Amino acid sequence: MKKNTALENSAKIIELVDICKDFDGVSVVENMNLYVRKGEFITFLGPSGCGKTTTLRMIAGFELPTSGKILLNGEDISHLPPNLRPVNTVFQKYALFPHLNVFENVAFGLKQKRIETTYIDKKGNQKIKKEKLPKALIAEKVKKALEIVDLSGFEKRSISTLSGGQQQRIAIARAIVNEPEILLLDEPLGALDLKMRKEMQLELKAMHKRLGITFIYVTHDQEEALTMSDTIVVMADGAIQQIGTPEMIYNEPKNTFVADFIGESNIFTGVMPKDGEVRFCGKKFECLDGGFEKDEPVDVVVRPEDVKIKPVEEGILKGKVTSVIFKGIHYQILVQCGRYEIEIQSTSAPTVGDTVGLVIKPDGIHVMKKEFVVNKFSGVITKRNTVEFGDGEFECDVTQLYPGSHLDEEGYLITAKGEKLDLTDVEVNVEVDLHDITMSDDPDEGGAQGHIISLIYKSEYYRYIVRTENEEDYVLACEDLWNENDFVSLIVPKDKIRLTLKMAEGGKQ
Amino acid sequence: MTETKQRLHFSRKLLAIPYALFLLAFVIAPLLIVLYYAFTDDSGKFTLYYMKMFFNESGEGLKGFFTSYNFKTIMRSLFISFMSTLVCLIIAYPVAYIIAHCKLKNKSTLLLLFIVPMWVNFVLRINALKELFVWLGTYNKSETWNVVNTIIGMVYDFLPFMILPIYTTIIKIDKSYLEAAKDLGATPAKAFLKVTLPLSKAGIVSGISMVFLPSMTNYVVSNYLTFRNVKIIGKLIDDYFTGDLWHDGSFIALILLLFMFLATWLTGGFEEDEQTNTRGTSLW
Repeated sequence: MKKNTALENSAKIIELVDICKDFDGVSVVENMNLYVRKGEFITFLGPSGCGKTTTLRMIAGFELPTSGKILLNGEDISHLPPNLRPVNTVFQKYALFPHLNVFENVAFGLKQKRIETTYIDKKGNQKIKKEKLPKALIAEKVKKALEIVDLSGFEKRSISTLSGGQQQRIAIARAIVNEPEILLLDEPLGALDLKMRKEMQLELKAMHKRLGITFIYVTHDQEEALTMSDTIVVMADGAIQQIGTPEMIYNEPKNTFVADFIGESNIFTGVMPKDGEVRFCGKKFECLDGGFEKDEPVDVVVRPEDVKIKPVEEGILKGKVTSVIFKGIHYQILVQCGRYEIEIQSTSAPTVGDTVGLVIKPDGIHVMKKEFVVNKFSGVITKRNTVEFGDGEFECDVTQLYPGSHLDEEGYLITAKGEKLDLTDVEVNVEVDLHDITMSDDPDEGGAQGHIISLIYKSEYYRYIVRTENEEDYVLACEDLWNENDFVSLIVPKDKIRLTLKMAEGGKQ
Repeated sequence: MTETKQRLHFSRKLLAIPYALFLLAFVIAPLLIVLYYAFTDDSGKFTLYYMKMFFNESGEGLKGFFTSYNFKTIMRSLFISFMSTLVCLIIAYPVAYIIAHCKLKNKSTLLLLFIVPMWVNFVLRINALKELFVWLGTYNKSETWNVVNTIIGMVYDFLPFMILPIYTTIIKIDKSYLEAAKDLGATPAKAFLKVTLPLSKAGIVSGISMVFLPSMTNYVVSNYLTFRNVKIIGKLIDDYFTGDLWHDGSFIALILLLFMFLATWLTGGFEEDEQTNTRGTSLW
């Protein structure tokens, strides 16, 4: 894993080992392994509900991990209460104490601190005394912290008289005044307006440089993460998708989720005939990636700014401009090339309806291993010769399990040799292709029901992941646009369900 | 545009009229009548006689006042009110805190347990309590027991009025404040003292005024539970009024009013609470 070279030598300050977190049996964070180096600015990035805030809260001590360990400088702090951790948090809604003024808020942490001093008592025994910090020292430190956040002279102000941005700064001052080893920031800029947010991003980054404290930052804003971080941890669905520098994450996304979540992207399905060559959109392109098997299906990511518009005769792809939208520094252009819709960012705009040629340079093409080629489940044959899998029940053709077999009137399977078999409760492996599953609004129409938890546009179709109540996932491709969280039932045609016997497999081993 | 705005403003003012009339008829007018009766004699002339009577009943000047029946009654009332309030607070705060912080889904059901007794007629409940004291043998046993029983009765009657406001303020405290306190190094006990307690001050103040002031005047409790042997300020007024001594009674009512004013002022009841009481103040 490539990391910032300056940081590479510094020690791991915090390490998460096999961290899992369940809430009432629902898994929120799954098997998380991660380390953060001293002085690093690391960002947990992901959509809401991906477990990033929960992870941060576990580091702060507000939540205890269900299993796994959190190591701080090599020591296990998993079960230490928050007040004993050398970590401070900047909360999403600041959580400034409304009954205290600015000074009292910032000084709160310092007033809790006790310094241990050893002294000799009258009898000559060595004793340890815990002493409060002297008032003058507290005042001095608060003053300094307020200077850092640019709010000198605000000591006497009450919290309710401050603007959102000022409250934000006080929240930061309240945390950094304690000189924590790690500063945790939970979407701290979420409540600010865009301009303020951009300013604070740069300020936070500068502050990080100046203070040298490790920052762990949580956000769902990919631009914020790219701007500020040394390292980004992309999370989805309670698991880490990719860890890397902003450049790595943007230029070499590990999977379609990362590519889709970070920045704009065109995602195509392609094949790799050989290293340095990839076919998608029905054309052959040169690329820089390799290491795949011959003709392996792959996902191809092309950033909109890497697609160049050329005169028709010079383009590899030809298509019609369907939409041009002015976005400030560039135009967002959609070009329909046959079945594929390609998004382009360019500073010059063609006219809608024009036919244009498109070229993509080799370094603009990023090839990724395909995550989902086929849905695989383990299932059980029922009495009625249907198959139960993935939290549902589907009709299927059981005769495919034994070549040349057929069903008699009572539903028993007669093999080619004439043997009569009862298939009830036989365990099978089930495979269904992405394109063979369709969705329906009618919950009774399909064999299983679930909510759409993810959708990614892949230039010719949308790739959906549907999750059932018992957390079975179906991956499917569909040209129609559904919404995330839609409740759908899943239809799989009888002849598209491929079954193989599990016993046979076991026997071979 | 401006016209509609003004009209809207006007109609908002109109909305205040019913309440204003109510206030005038049932709060301001009676107060003025009390004031009038306190400082006039039977013929309607202004007089300070009743004030003199109150402070100098025995004719020995102010020195006599401090040993007078009126003064003793006031002191007894204050003591009973103070103790009732204190006991209520000591019981109500932990109860409210535990209900607000418990992990049960139906907190309101738990809260209902403390409120349901209010649905039973109050006189009935006090009578039942009396029977309990009789059974225990503490009923009208001695002067001390009478005071103790009165305090128990007051606490029994007013406890829900203390629990409810405290519960509402505690439940409204954002959990992130507590987390922030712990994050900044405060132990759970420190976090409670420095954050939860000050933030629930509004509830405590409102609870105190809901218990302290009524228990100065609620002589039903003291009458029933002490065989009319403990007299509080409310009973004093009642005695004068039932004895047709309207002027004397009115003056004592004024004194009581003074205490209420003082109590509200001391507990900060007149402070404008920015978070809860900004609406409506601009109407007047």
